[in-house]
Amino acid sequence: MNMALKEMKKNKTRFLIIGAVVFLISLLTFLLSGLANGLSEDNMASIRNLPEGNFHLTEDAEGSYTRSNLDEATVQSATGQNNYAFSVQMGGLEKSERKYSLAFFNSTSASPFPQPDKGEVVLDSSVKEEGVSVGDTLTHPQTGEELEVTGFADNERFSHSPAAFVNQEEFSSMFRIEDFQVLYTENEKDISGLETFSKSEFLSSIPSYQAEQMTLSMILWFLVLISGMLFAIFFYMMNVQKTGMFGILKAIGVRTRRLFYMMWVQMLTITSLAVLLSGLAGQTAGVLLPEAMPYDLPISTTLALAVVFLVVGFIGSTFSGLRIRQIKPLEAIQQGEG
Amino acid sequence: METFHLKNIRKTFKNGEVEEEVLKGVNLSLRPGEITALTGASGSGKSTLLTIAAGLQETSEGEISFKGKNLADVKEEKLRKVRAEEFGFIFQSSHLVPFLTVEEQLFMMLEVAGKKKEEEEVTAILSKVGLSHRRKAYPSSLSGGEKQRAAIARSVIHRPSVLFADEPTASLDSKKSEEVMQLLEDMTKERGMATLLVTHETEMLSYADRVVHMEDGKILV
Ligand SMILES: Nc1ncnc2c1ncn2[C@@H]1O[C@H](COP(=O)(O)OP(=O)(O)OP(=O)(O)O)[C@@H](O)[C@H]1O
Ligand SMILES: [Mg+2]
Repeated sequence: MNMALKEMKKNKTRFLIIGAVVFLISLLTFLLSGLANGLSEDNMASIRNLPEGNFHLTEDAEGSYTRSNLDEATVQSATGQNNYAFSVQMGGLEKSERKYSLAFFNSTSASPFPQPDKGEVVLDSSVKEEGVSVGDTLTHPQTGEELEVTGFADNERFSHSPAAFVNQEEFSSMFRIEDFQVLYTENEKDISGLETFSKSEFLSSIPSYQAEQMTLSMILWFLVLISGMLFAIFFYMMNVQKTGMFGILKAIGVRTRRLFYMMWVQMLTITSLAVLLSGLAGQTAGVLLPEAMPYDLPISTTLALAVVFLVVGFIGSTFSGLRIRQIKPLEAIQQGEG
Repeated sequence: METFHLKNIRKTFKNGEVEEEVLKGVNLSLRPGEITALTGASGSGKSTLLTIAAGLQETSEGEISFKGKNLADVKEEKLRKVRAEEFGFIFQSSHLVPFLTVEEQLFMMLEVAGKKKEEEEVTAILSKVGLSHRRKAYPSSLSGGEKQRAAIARSVIHRPSVLFADEPTASLDSKKSEEVMQLLEDMTKERGMATLLVTHETEMLSYADRVVHMEDGKILV
């Protein structure tokens, strides 16, 4: 006989309330996670979309790509198939009166980034919506250099700005930098004189990215923690209320284990339903929210968070259930309730 | 014939530094098909004796012999099994599970005792206690007498060998009390249970086969 479900059926409101709260908290977590992920993509798509690998900076750069200068010889010997070097600089281009803030990329030939010829530029497709089209000529205000737009690339962003891919010569004259900053290798872990970072390490070495993501993930984990505590408190209060009944059940010979199962079944039912609904709502939000809103919630993240909620709910309820073990049948009988 | 024996049961409670001996060497036997009534002044130790016999609290000294075992030495899990399979309980309040219907209370008890789900048995016992028409009712909608009758049905559905009843009629008026006692007597005879009944009320003693009087932690002979 499933006593857990019978109790839920009899006390619907009580369980609906906790279910609703878990739904809201998990929904908030999903939305926030979608936002964090969306912002991260909006911020750093160009790096995020590179395959996993090793990012090398010079040792004296102390983990900051802006201070890294790879010498020519290293780049020559290390680059090749699947290994390449690139540089990024923030800057802008103008078209008549309009200014466009862009992240300029320059890379060696094996890289997945576009490599236009001299006098040309390839832009992130978001610039299209701001009135730039293929064939337009953009001016670099500091040097007066003119670049013709030869194409657009999808989802190429760095530091919340659309990327602009240019030729080595233009890059050097615009920013007066001859050397590459970052060396990417697929498998090479150790290169002498260089410090190696994984992709996520490299991403979090970029200060603005780090700050943004840390704040969001802190809120996220707080929400998860709160939901766990909520479960603990809810089941604690229910268990306190049911102390007498548990005592009687123990007296007539019900196993303590069975009382725990009851609680776990209830917790799992509530959480699964609530998280299923909020997960669906989170996915729907991805469809409904306007394109400009940086929101991206992959199914895998949804599932991972759902599992986290189940685990946290389990821990929370079990923790509060520990007192069930201490209940003495006798006390319940002497309390004389029911 | 199987019987239930309490031998030289002593119980001491510690209240801080003060030790109080509540049971001072009690000997008592219960016999199948008999109601043994335990009476005595309030505080004389009746409930303490009953709960020790029922394996709900430990004895300080003495032996509880049942089916060749001394329950005083049996581990908690084994004791739980004995309570589930061999004992039945009725208390002053009915202590029904609030979210189970009357018949579900009985099915649960059968399950706890590791017995099959006997529809017919449940139907028979519910008609015996006069609750056939209330079998789908939840405890909150039952009257006090109905609750207590449901509790009696629950306490015997799994055919226990020993029934422990601590003042089962205390919360009922005299007419309802008579009904409940009549039921207890019938069940005890019919099912050959050894019933230990604690009661205050002298009117109830007429249903007992044997009356034992307790005073100050001892049984008066
Ligand atoms: N857990 C305990 N700790 C300390 N003293 C206890 C405990 N349980 C019972 N006592 C004491 O033991 C004595 C006997 O209690 P018991 O409940 O057995 O009496 P009783 O005969 O059932 O009384 P009543 O007729 O009022 O139910 C009382 O003095 C009581 O205070
Ligand atoms: Mg008593």
